[in-house]
Amino acid sequence: MERFLIQASTYAGSIDGVIMLIALLVGFWFLLAEGIFFWLIWKFRARPGEKSQYLTGKEKHVKRWITIPHALVLLCDVFIIIASVRVWYDVKQQLPEADSTIRVIGQQWAWTFQHPGIDNELDTDDDIYTVGDLHVEVEKTYHFQLQSRDVLHSFSVPVFRLKQDAIPGRSITGWFQATETGDHDVQCAEICGIGHGIMAARIHIEDAQTHAQWIADASAATTP
Amino acid sequence: MRRLRTPRIAALALLTAGLAACDATPLPLGMERGTELFETCAPCHGANAAGNPDIAAPAIAGLPQWYIEDQLRGYQEGYRGDHYTDLAGLRMRPMALSLTREGDIESVAEYVAGLDPVYPESTLHGNAGAGATTYTQICVACHGVDGLGMPELHAPPIVQLNDWYLYQELQNFRSGARGAAPGDTWGLTMRANSLALSDEVMQDVIAYVQTLR
Repeated sequence: MERFLIQASTYAGSIDGVIMLIALLVGFWFLLAEGIFFWLIWKFRARPGEKSQYLTGKEKHVKRWITIPHALVLLCDVFIIIASVRVWYDVKQQLPEADSTIRVIGQQWAWTFQHPGIDNELDTDDDIYTVGDLHVEVEKTYHFQLQSRDVLHSFSVPVFRLKQDAIPGRSITGWFQATETGDHDVQCAEICGIGHGIMAARIHIEDAQTHAQWIADASAATTP
Repeated sequence: MRRLRTPRIAALALLTAGLAACDATPLPLGMERGTELFETCAPCHGANAAGNPDIAAPAIAGLPQWYIEDQLRGYQEGYRGDHYTDLAGLRMRPMALSLTREGDIESVAEYVAGLDPVYPESTLHGNAGAGATTYTQICVACHGVDGLGMPELHAPPIVQLNDWYLYQELQNFRSGARGAAPGDTWGLTMRANSLALSDEVMQDVIAYVQTLR
């Protein structure tokens, strides 16, 4: 999966793993079902002088074509559920201790980011506000407080495999930890009006020194 | 061999249609393109560009082409609508950023400038008499005695702008949400002039501007 889009968070790999598991299991059953379907069409094709017959599907030897795959598909579902719940718990149910907290505010049609300043405390005088640019330090655990000023939005960072709806009137907490430096896209993943498609931002994942320098420069320049 | 004729003709027809679709005729500019682009503006500014106060979209019909071009470039270059407190500006910014083709800004500005101006009703209740003094002392140098502006100073006509919009923008200038970016030469002038204005004085001077219509 990383061949298509890099995995830049601690949980990106496990989310890709679940998607791959689902793709493989569903893909297997899809190909098998289609193969049998076309084989049956070919096997029971029209032949001169041979009448078609109606099958009620009640006979055991006919019914097992449904019941056996059905049971096996359900077994596959169990594997998918187990894998999904484990990832869901890791990403959504638990909240590792934060090194820093940021606030992400969606509005039609921009993302505003509130970063803590040098004191590393949110909602203090040295907070840094940016529009369209989120700065984080690599290998640090961040909590984000996601809010919306108007309608539903969805904070999506594809390289993190992170997607969380922003709901007006609520502050939703989540977390991430970036694993490598780089600049990547942030999107809105919930239709939010005419400008939804261009409601883009960038996340800048920086090493400790670069990030500290950015905080120092931005703290000096920001006028809350 | 005769059987193959029909598919060959069909393939030739498809190829011709494909080539026709790749026609190199330049796309339209000016009013034709402007009309097309304005469809993106209409949901907020209205079909006649008369504005919609509910979503902080001002009336823009009939504003000068140079001014609309200036503002759209400001949004694109990040010296307007790029501050976290300028909520209406943040809404407008991606719209301006979507004008990517050369000539788009000029085309849509030409279209909007060609619309009949509207003079929205007053919604504020400032003291026009008191505002006249402030206007004469501060605003008149750039916006003129008639409030029709001076293109050479990049000062737009303000008589046809919504009073709530003028108030909102004066507050943006004063807070630094607008006119504080280094590239915004003309905005810096406006910001400097707004710093001395209290909310009350702003409303008074806007009430006076409304009397210039």
